[in-house]
Amino acid sequence: MLVDAHVHIGKSTRLQIDVDGEHLVRVADELGFEKICCTDLTALFYDMHEGNRLLYEEMKKFPDRIIGYASLHSTRFGDEALEELDRCANDYGMRGLKIYSTPQMSIAEPATIPILEKTVELRFPVLAHATPLECEYLMAAVPECRLMMAHAAAQPFAHGDWNRAIMAAKTYPNLYLETASSTIDTGFLETCVRELGPEKIIFGTDIPLLDPYFQLSKVRDTNVAEDGLKKILGGNILRLLGLA
Amino acid sequence: MVLDVNAFIGKWPYWPVPITSPEAIAQKLAEWGIDRACICSTRSLFVNWEDGNVEAGRAACERPDVLIPFACLGTFELSHRAANRHHDLAQYRAQGFRGARLYPQHHSYHPLFESFIDVICDQAAALQFPVLLSMRAIMNWGVPSLEFSSMFGLVERHPRVPWILSGVNYLHEIRASAAFLKKYEMVHLETSCVMGYEAISKVVEECGYEQILFGSAAPLQHGRASLEKIWNARISDAAREAICCGNARRLLQV
Repeated sequence: MLVDAHVHIGKSTRLQIDVDGEHLVRVADELGFEKICCTDLTALFYDMHEGNRLLYEEMKKFPDRIIGYASLHSTRFGDEALEELDRCANDYGMRGLKIYSTPQMSIAEPATIPILEKTVELRFPVLAHATPLECEYLMAAVPECRLMMAHAAAQPFAHGDWNRAIMAAKTYPNLYLETASSTIDTGFLETCVRELGPEKIIFGTDIPLLDPYFQLSKVRDTNVAEDGLKKILGGNILRLLGLA
Repeated sequence: MVLDVNAFIGKWPYWPVPITSPEAIAQKLAEWGIDRACICSTRSLFVNWEDGNVEAGRAACERPDVLIPFACLGTFELSHRAANRHHDLAQYRAQGFRGARLYPQHHSYHPLFESFIDVICDQAAALQFPVLLSMRAIMNWGVPSLEFSSMFGLVERHPRVPWILSGVNYLHEIRASAAFLKKYEMVHLETSCVMGYEAISKVVEECGYEQILFGSAAPLQHGRASLEKIWNARISDAAREAICCGNARRLLQV
């Protein structure tokens, strides 16, 4: 089963995006993705309550296709954020958390720790748009948290340094690497698998920011063995979500 | 037939890419579905551009059925000594090179404030010799990039050059490229770093397909993945064929 672990839904001025579940499911159909794990952009960048509620409405339309990640637009809302996570898990049926870090407002700070502890309690995996250094800070604080480093450092704030991401994931058993990126460096996946094993690699595309076809190709059209690819392209994320 | 206007030979200093020899590159390109490729040596980017051109020329002689050499050009002034030498694109063309490449971000010069660049551009316009101007060698943030305004400022200054805009990725960069494609018929866009959602089809819809060229930055980037975004773009078969080969054949006269 193909599962995309990194998808966005909703609206963003900065990213110039406005897509709904219907559009995303149509794209998923074209690519053969059976499930897509979605984050609402309003929840991620503006208001968590409004955005997570919007995502829940889309999940209800496509219950077999859209898996919801709760999002927090900031980690600095204390108990309000923890209550929102409870709501997302218990009322909305979401199964993970997406958080976003920038150099100007890094999530590698004490305010994030209770949130990660809450995800452990809820059994939420966390997709973190964060650098290897930030992930190391978070993993050292909450080692039982299952953290997916979005883009595997192949993003501007981490200078595209996926080799550094591998070093971090080698150190922390619960740190996973997620593949979505506009980077298609030759040997990326083979190196990840050689150093970490296929169990720690999670396939994602970042639709509708990035073209999904080259992202599927950079994973599928490699020298990685078939059973490893099955894990990367769906098995691992389903296991983390408690769906396998 | 797939003709790639932006490939490389040579070593990659950032991380291991064990595909360096002309034979290995030709084999890998074939595996990815790329029949022919315009190459430049990474030695030209990192060590000495003239030595790299010798390497690219030799590689093309070894596999003339696959590899087409582009000359990478930089400044003659090295170690702060001015050299009494001048660029001569006609000489490169006579040696079999089909185009030139500029990487100001790797050669420590500003393309808008160096007279040798104007000399190159004037010759390229007169000879109709394609010039690939790179914003990024590959799409990775650890690799230097050329300032947006420098790229488009240089093209605006020399609109008669058969430009190949290379390494363009972000939406605002693609928007600017599209504006230039519409304004100047000699400006082309290669696709190695165009990664955005439906970006290829949107550019084609806005500008037509005659000025779009397939590029992969192989073997540093994954050649098959580069092709997949063209194969699956929402464009006509005629557009796909032109982007993958026809436009480049016309431009390069191969």
